[in-house]
Amino acid sequence: MMLAFVWLAPLAGGILLWAFGPQLRSWAGPIGSALIGASFLATCALWGSATAPGALHVPLVSWLHGWNFGLQLDRLSLIWSLIITGVGFLIHVYSIGYMDGDRAFARFFAYMNFFVFAMLTLVLSDNVIGLLVGWGLVGLASYFLIGFWFDRPSAVAAARKAFVMNVVGDVGMMFAIFLIVAKLGAIGYADVFAGVGHALDSGTVFLICVGLFVGCAAKSAQVPLHTWLPDAMEGPTPVSALIHAATMVTAGVYLIARFAPLWSASAEAREMAGVIGGLTAISGAVLGCVQWDIKRILAYSTMSQIGYMIMGVGVGAFTGGVFHFLTHAFFKAQLFLGAGIIIHALANQQDVRRMGGLRTRMPFAFLAMLVGVLAICGVPGFSGFFSKDDVIYGTLAAGHPWLYAVGVLTAGITAYYMFRLLFVTFFGPYRGDVDAAALGIAVEPSGPSVAGHHAEEEEPHHHAPPGLMNVPVAILILPTIFIGWLDFGEGSPWKQFFRGFPGFDAAATSAAMPELASTGLVLAVVAAGFTLAYARYGTTAALRDAVARLRNETLRTPPVLVHAYYFDAAYELIFARSARALGSWFDRVIDPHVIDAGVREVAISSEWLGHLFRSFQTGLVRVYALSLVFGVACFVAYYALAFGVSR
Amino acid sequence: MIVAPENYVALSAVLFTIGVVGVIARRNPLIMLMSIELLFNAANLALVTYARAWVNNVGHIFAFLVITVAAAEAAIGLAIVAVAFRNLPHVDVDDAAVLKG
Repeated sequence: MMLAFVWLAPLAGGILLWAFGPQLRSWAGPIGSALIGASFLATCALWGSATAPGALHVPLVSWLHGWNFGLQLDRLSLIWSLIITGVGFLIHVYSIGYMDGDRAFARFFAYMNFFVFAMLTLVLSDNVIGLLVGWGLVGLASYFLIGFWFDRPSAVAAARKAFVMNVVGDVGMMFAIFLIVAKLGAIGYADVFAGVGHALDSGTVFLICVGLFVGCAAKSAQVPLHTWLPDAMEGPTPVSALIHAATMVTAGVYLIARFAPLWSASAEAREMAGVIGGLTAISGAVLGCVQWDIKRILAYSTMSQIGYMIMGVGVGAFTGGVFHFLTHAFFKAQLFLGAGIIIHALANQQDVRRMGGLRTRMPFAFLAMLVGVLAICGVPGFSGFFSKDDVIYGTLAAGHPWLYAVGVLTAGITAYYMFRLLFVTFFGPYRGDVDAAALGIAVEPSGPSVAGHHAEEEEPHHHAPPGLMNVPVAILILPTIFIGWLDFGEGSPWKQFFRGFPGFDAAATSAAMPELASTGLVLAVVAAGFTLAYARYGTTAALRDAVARLRNETLRTPPVLVHAYYFDAAYELIFARSARALGSWFDRVIDPHVIDAGVREVAISSEWLGHLFRSFQTGLVRVYALSLVFGVACFVAYYALAFGVSR
Repeated sequence: MIVAPENYVALSAVLFTIGVVGVIARRNPLIMLMSIELLFNAANLALVTYARAWVNNVGHIFAFLVITVAAAEAAIGLAIVAVAFRNLPHVDVDDAAVLKG
């Protein structure tokens, strides 16, 4: 009952705010937030029953034989539900301040509540069909929220792109689910896991994992289906924080962790996920180094961090990967909300080149961002340190030295671009009044970073009490720093928590070097990344002529990085252009010469038949009578000949 | 004097032929209706002849039915002719061909 409340309260909020938004006006924010908060408290209250053996299971509907739909709150979905509702609640509260004055204030909260409902459907479902439904619904919610400012063409395009990419993933997942249903005839997780090694042979398990991974890659922005995530930053910043950083994009991590027994049974699938995750981690991090839009930097860092998580759960370090999800949810939400404070205060300026020196103007935002940066870089003591270490060391323990090297290198790059962000944004002189050309910013009317953010400004901001935005950020600072200690040392509370969870124990541990040495290596690389960032952006000399330096860097960025490895161009070339060519071929050949011609032929032939029969229809009764007589004469002649002769 | 049935049948055939030719060749609807009456009566004559020849009264009964139908047909036919030629200038069935395709 309580679980159904957890699940349905956000839906009720979504419907209520959607239907009565104009009447509720500014009450929409508090109502939406309160429902998510209630959902969070209910989830907390269910902690005991979820962690008890057998978990919490609520059957809902039974359809065909073996098709039982229900809700399930076990340890894994508990962690996710707590993050979704808890961080979700904080971001809702933050949004009351951030979205204040927006024309569609209530619609925003309706969508946000709907998103939370969709995400809870995804994680609370006890069967693959419910999972797929939730999977699709979060994609829909994401589409709504990316395109929230639908009077911006770029936002609409980004929303469409995200939706299409996600549907590609949905198809992969459907394929996996069809395979499961075809082989087992059952949809419950328990049935699926029981079938591993019996009804599901290793080849089938691998195929299911591939299908699931396609879904996971699309939702979690893994190479090569990642291109929608940076564009998704067109949505309001709280959306980026909640959906495109903390929760939805980590659904792929949940998926792999949920199907851990399958992944544990397929070494090839683990290999694939690990490699793709590692590739995503490093390519996202490299792209983060050349971005200037503060949200895009964070978007690429999200992509990179999810790459870490996928790499972790992919190689079998499930507790590590899931732990990185937990810490990342906090510090990335923290970073996004901190960025949101800056963007809000600077009247929607998102280009870090136009910032600078904000440390003194916005000390609280600086503190928030600093803590987030320290956490994401894995500075000892901060949450990211523990979780990232777990993942990186997990790859080594699972016997993937190459992935380990990628993980270590990515940690260094992460430190570089995050401190670059910090230095450029908060240190040196304020550059908001510097001419764009002096900074090397190409002035184009439809530029994604600088222009196009008019929608928010159409109505004058009467600024909400800053506390409303600052309090959630301040609350997030605590877990951003301290949550990592849950996983300190052997036999940590975190590792205890997941002891005996289905599929989690399978990871082999045969490390080539002790964990402490590995930690030291990671820290050395992180320090190198920081030093490089400091030398380029943080020294007094660098800060003094920051304008010229930034201009230089802007103009000298390698085109391959500016265009994000040409993924978009390649998709344009391969899919969009070929589809258009096919379409125009159909337009030129098939449509006029086959379809139209067929219709025309039907018309012409019936006209011809009409002409033929028309000639009989003279309208002269005599002619009809004559033909009647002729026909009778024929009959008579026939019978006379046939029977007359025989007699 | 007993006339052989063949003669009746021959007469019937002659009457029928005259009726058919009348229906086909003439354009005056009244003449056509009269020719149709000839057709009916030719058929009646044949029916009665065969009934007598085979000693089977079904033919007689059919003859009565045909007479009834002929009366109804004549009434309807004359009604159609009267209505149609109220609207047409000439009494000619070929003019009443407005429904042709």
